[in-house]
Amino acid sequence: MEIRPIISALMRSKVAMILIGLQVALTLAIVCNSLFIISQRFERMQRPSGMNETDTFYFGSSGFGRGYDARATQKADLQLLRQLPGVAAVTPAWSVPLSGGGWDSGISLQPRQKTATADSAIYIVDDAAVNTFGTHLIAGRDFKPEEVVDTAFGGSLHPAVVIVTKALADKLFPAGDAVGKQIYMDQDPPTSTIIGVVDRLQHMRAESSSIEYSTLVPAYMPYDNFTRYLVRTEPGRRDEVMKSVEQKLAESNRNRIVSKMRTLEQTRRDAYADDRAMMIILGTVIVALLTITALGIVGMASFWVAQRTKQIGTRRALGATRFDILRYFLTENFVITTLGLLVGGALTYVLSLWLLTHTDGAKLLPWYYVPIGFACLWLLGQIAVLGPATRASRVPPAVATRSV
Amino acid sequence: MTDEPNVCAIRGLRSIPGAARRITPMPTILADPRLPISFTEPEGVMLKMQHLSKVYRTHMVETHALRDFSIHVRDGEFVAVTGPSGSGKTTFLNIAGLLEEFTSGEFWLDGVAVSGLNDNARSKLRNEKIGFIFQGFNLIPDLNLFDNVDVPLRYRGYNAAERRKRIEESLARVGLSSRMKHYPSELSGGQQQRVAIARALAGSPRLLMADEPTGNLDSLMARGVMELLEEINRAGTTIIMVTHDPELAARAQRNVHVMDGQVTDFDAEPKLRMQSRDADIEEAVV
Amino acid sequence: MFSYYLQLGLRSLRRNPILTALMVLGIALGIAASMTTLTVMHLMGSDPIPWKSSNLHYVQMDNWDPNSPYNPDGSPPDQVTYRDAVALMEAGKADKQVAMFKLALPVQPVNPELKPFRALARVTYADFFAMFEPPFAYGGGWNHDQDAQHARVVVLGNGINEKLFGGQNSVGKTVRLDGNDYTIVGVLGDWKLRSRYYDLTVGAFADPDDMFMPFTTAIDLKQRSSGNNSCWTSSADGWDAYLQSDCVWIQMWVQLDSPARLAEYQSFLDAYVNEQKKSGRFQRPLNNRLPDVNTWMADQKVVSGDVKVQTGLGFAFLAVCLVNTIGLLLAKFTRKAGEIGLRRALGASRRDIFGQFLIESGVVGLSGGMIGLLLTGFGLIAVRALYTNYKTVAQLDWVMVATTVLLAVAAAVLAGLYPTWRACQVAPAAQLKTQ
Repeated sequence: MEIRPIISALMRSKVAMILIGLQVALTLAIVCNSLFIISQRFERMQRPSGMNETDTFYFGSSGFGRGYDARATQKADLQLLRQLPGVAAVTPAWSVPLSGGGWDSGISLQPRQKTATADSAIYIVDDAAVNTFGTHLIAGRDFKPEEVVDTAFGGSLHPAVVIVTKALADKLFPAGDAVGKQIYMDQDPPTSTIIGVVDRLQHMRAESSSIEYSTLVPAYMPYDNFTRYLVRTEPGRRDEVMKSVEQKLAESNRNRIVSKMRTLEQTRRDAYADDRAMMIILGTVIVALLTITALGIVGMASFWVAQRTKQIGTRRALGATRFDILRYFLTENFVITTLGLLVGGALTYVLSLWLLTHTDGAKLLPWYYVPIGFACLWLLGQIAVLGPATRASRVPPAVATRSV
Repeated sequence: MTDEPNVCAIRGLRSIPGAARRITPMPTILADPRLPISFTEPEGVMLKMQHLSKVYRTHMVETHALRDFSIHVRDGEFVAVTGPSGSGKTTFLNIAGLLEEFTSGEFWLDGVAVSGLNDNARSKLRNEKIGFIFQGFNLIPDLNLFDNVDVPLRYRGYNAAERRKRIEESLARVGLSSRMKHYPSELSGGQQQRVAIARALAGSPRLLMADEPTGNLDSLMARGVMELLEEINRAGTTIIMVTHDPELAARAQRNVHVMDGQVTDFDAEPKLRMQSRDADIEEAVV
Repeated sequence: MFSYYLQLGLRSLRRNPILTALMVLGIALGIAASMTTLTVMHLMGSDPIPWKSSNLHYVQMDNWDPNSPYNPDGSPPDQVTYRDAVALMEAGKADKQVAMFKLALPVQPVNPELKPFRALARVTYADFFAMFEPPFAYGGGWNHDQDAQHARVVVLGNGINEKLFGGQNSVGKTVRLDGNDYTIVGVLGDWKLRSRYYDLTVGAFADPDDMFMPFTTAIDLKQRSSGNNSCWTSSADGWDAYLQSDCVWIQMWVQLDSPARLAEYQSFLDAYVNEQKKSGRFQRPLNNRLPDVNTWMADQKVVSGDVKVQTGLGFAFLAVCLVNTIGLLLAKFTRKAGEIGLRRALGASRRDIFGQFLIESGVVGLSGGMIGLLLTGFGLIAVRALYTNYKTVAQLDWVMVATTVLLAVAAAVLAGLYPTWRACQVAPAAQLKTQ
């Protein structure tokens, strides 16, 4: 309604307008970008690992001393674990999705290929792996016990058969006919045959760009004297089984150390601890920022109302209703906020570009964050100014005739 | 605006029942018997207050700003309300200008009974019927002259063309059309008060309330403003001017003296009009 | 005069408690946000060994796949092969040099009450102790002869010495590691390392090393690295083939005491790689690098992008708080125009007014700083809870405390400067008239 006179009045007290506008602009820039980072992290954390995470745990066993036979211990351990009540499935596994460390390798379609077609996590497991991970075979078949061969840890890896994830299968063979195809785990022959495809199994490094590419390799292959076991329990019995496993293994062989058992849930928490921390920190920044900006608007508006009491009284004397006064301050806030937001829109993308240079894999802010940010700050401004504006509307018209 | 010449509306005193124990008999301004007075729709009466009282309550103290106050202003009159500080004349002005509510009694403004009106209705009435001139001018410092005069018109809801026409006319009437884009701080006190008058006139009010309109001006500027007010009155607008300056009051047609919240004295006879009402307004402007 | 201004300032702040609280809180929150993030960033990236960081150089050589670089940006691998490490150690061209890797191995305590446990050992050379200068509580490092003799000696960290020997002087005693006995030659004191900068390949803020043992000994015993091991080509099976392979898994540091020595070593390294090229290795272009400690830490992004972003946002937040405070101070000082006019009329000079209001802003800043410091403390506790690895870097030190208070006062005075300047423009007479 009366935007033009409000603007011309504001132009007479530029500093105050600039201060609130600047605050709104900075707030918009920070809030939009922080929200975008939060949503990206949230998306990252929501990616399924492809495993049954609730009922699964793992631990390592490292033997010592000259008489220690890693291979025999591994076989005895598997037998022992598989007999324990509550255990649904067990596999030796070099590594576990999201756990951080492990073996990854380039996979090629040609011998001596200059660059590998895909980088894949390598999970060295036995024939119980698909069942233990809790992933689902969607094509081909599972490993047969006789396909799990004793292998010495050394330079190269040439399994006869492998199972790959769907994402990897599609990357290697976009036609969707991966089963039965030959791949090179190393640059040299012999090749490995894909016998099965599972729907999903994530990489052991959550930050990997090949997060969905994994390969299961059937082998009994301890890393020197170290073996890791992955155990899936019957639903709801994880904690109970963890205790009994710890006890049984302590009894079974004195010449080894059983490392602390970790659940997949803990592993997921640790893998995304930094993302979670970032989300919490940015969330706190957003809340604090909006609070400060709202308080700033309340403070400035209260001051303006106090400063313009006489003016408000005059307007009332000249026929303004209470609602006219209320609307005046709401409109004024809307104008200042809008000016701030226009500057803030540009600032938002400046910040987004700065973030691009400081974060790996950062993306430019999608445009729709800006209108959402506009709406939020408009609303924030209107709510913040409501108190002072209501106070202004209660200024009695008789103030106009007061001489001081 | 009525074309009737101004005549005195006050014929005498009448004691009010219930006020008898007071030492001073209550002066009451009675209507001209020639003018039929209806309690709901008084014709030709701009302002009528009867037995009005205003009590301020702060903490333990009750202050009677007005008590059993009655006044009667006819359409087209120029009335000066005088009295020392604290006499209640500002309270009268505030209530008469619908800026403040009263505690008890009755009050009609241009035929409208005010007591039943809510804040919004009073704002509307104020906007349509009353123009204000304040001692401190009360121009909005952040707005230029054009926008200052525009303020009441905005609340009136006129369209842009109508507003522009009225702003230009009223600024021309006070001789400031060339300075429309100036800000109040760039004007002298007299010019500022003329802007305030232009603002008061822009909405063609029936009643002009002036509160010490020359209080902040030197005598030369004050004379100019007074002459302007007289011109306006001649053109038919009723003026109620509150002042403590007897010289100024003397220029009004009629004086009402307020003391301790009551009307204690008033001119029985209207002054003779010295100027022809067709005189050029521009002449009056210094 | 100062105490008079201070009195006036305090009185004025007390008069509008809500406005004052708003300003102080604004400064405090801004300071807390910026200082918490800045402290973490500062301590993460700070020079761990300032007196010699420019003399310690990490060794990088590009033995990688001729078809694709180790890193997409073309930088050489972050570790070296066993062959090259040993060759450089034997050449001994630097003032001091060490090759090293991380080893996890079982510790078998003599005390039957203690169960065997896994510990982290740093497998390295005698020069390690002279180069990285850990403090010794007892004994010292081993010597070059012991390196040459593949001696079974070990230096314990104070944590593991506490666990195995109750913190007593254990020099001369033995400890059994993976079935072999090692003689303890030294025990470290409390080595406060913010980041394990000498090996950034497995995370700068991961668990500290429990003990140190000779490289030659560990290789003898075929102890395989628990750190990163990257290969670009397959090799034959077996330990010896592994040692001869082009897999990189060893970190190599040299100490070069002058720029001249650095240049000499650079040309020695180039000559070495060119010699190797003749035998068909190092097929990529010559890309030897000798970054010093700080360069290497920056290369390896010890300060993570997240931490930089947080710090940036922390300061942007402070900027918002400052703008907020400027606005509120402006509001406050403008309302006092009458008082200023009166004071000016009573003989106060512009300088007096300036002093009075600047001190008022300073008081706001100081209180904001104090509360901000407290909040920074809480902020760091929160960071430690959120990032369990950051225990060593989410700590307030006196430099940061001083910076915080200084920043808060500077910020508030800066915020107060414009409002104060405006206040000084009030003419003595202007405000004495009505309105």
